[in-house]
Amino acid sequence: MSALISTVRASLSYRGREGHWLWLLHRVSGLGVLLFLILHVAGMSSAFISIEIHDRLLEMYKTPLFSIGELALAFGLIFHAVNGTRIAILELKPELWQKQQLATRLAIIIVVLLAAPTIIIMALGSINAFFGPAAGH
Amino acid sequence: MTTLNASASPAARRTVRPIPQGRNRFERAMWLFMRFSGLALLFLALSHFGFQHIIVGTHRLTSEDTIVRWGLAGESITISQLFWRLYYGVMVLLAMLHGLNGLRQVAYDYLKNKTVYNAFMAAAAVLILAVTTMGVIALIVGVNASGATAAITR
Repeated sequence: MSALISTVRASLSYRGREGHWLWLLHRVSGLGVLLFLILHVAGMSSAFISIEIHDRLLEMYKTPLFSIGELALAFGLIFHAVNGTRIAILELKPELWQKQQLATRLAIIIVVLLAAPTIIIMALGSINAFFGPAAGH
Repeated sequence: MTTLNASASPAARRTVRPIPQGRNRFERAMWLFMRFSGLALLFLALSHFGFQHIIVGTHRLTSEDTIVRWGLAGESITISQLFWRLYYGVMVLLAMLHGLNGLRQVAYDYLKNKTVYNAFMAAAAVLILAVTTMGVIALIVGVNASGATAAITR
């Protein structure tokens, strides 16, 4: 346990600039997406057992807790996809390592460009569902 | 001189615990798998998320949508339902294995105690493989609406 704490502390305090934060965020987002994936697949596959259970689980997806988690999922999934592509391209073409600073900045820009509208659209959908004229259904 | 150079090289400093020789073939295969499954998931997961979570939206999701895409258990399936079942089947298998291997790499870095690491990974593998099996069974069987007539009015 103390080894775990010291490793986590070291990975938070090590200053490897943006690349270090991307590495850390890649792990955190990957674990987060995996956690969601397990809950999501378990929930969706309930449909083959009984449609009533499936309906109840779908209603659970429409609660505020899940809606907030879904926004985090959107960011995590987009980040993991874009940063994973960056890693794969740099490993495939080592000569591009000279431009890795540019690749890092490019990845961050693409993540923001994809995640910002996604999160806004999803958040507006949730706000409308919870507070809009049709709320309470 | 050579030993000094070796210990001072960035690669030597980065690798805290080198991969055991016997596992190199497995690690190489997993390294490749992560790249290829990642590339496939880039399209599969992002298209699924864009369609179901952004365009349709979770708040509009009902079990009728699941019936439309998967079909009912015991009934013959349409071409589009076959497409969706294969699409989700490939995605769930790739995503779960990609996630399991990613989890293994993270656990290997942080759980230094071998017993703790083995127990954790065994539990995680059982959970992930059980949920994956459930998902694959659901995609083979289809939606079971035998107890509910109200849901299949359309």
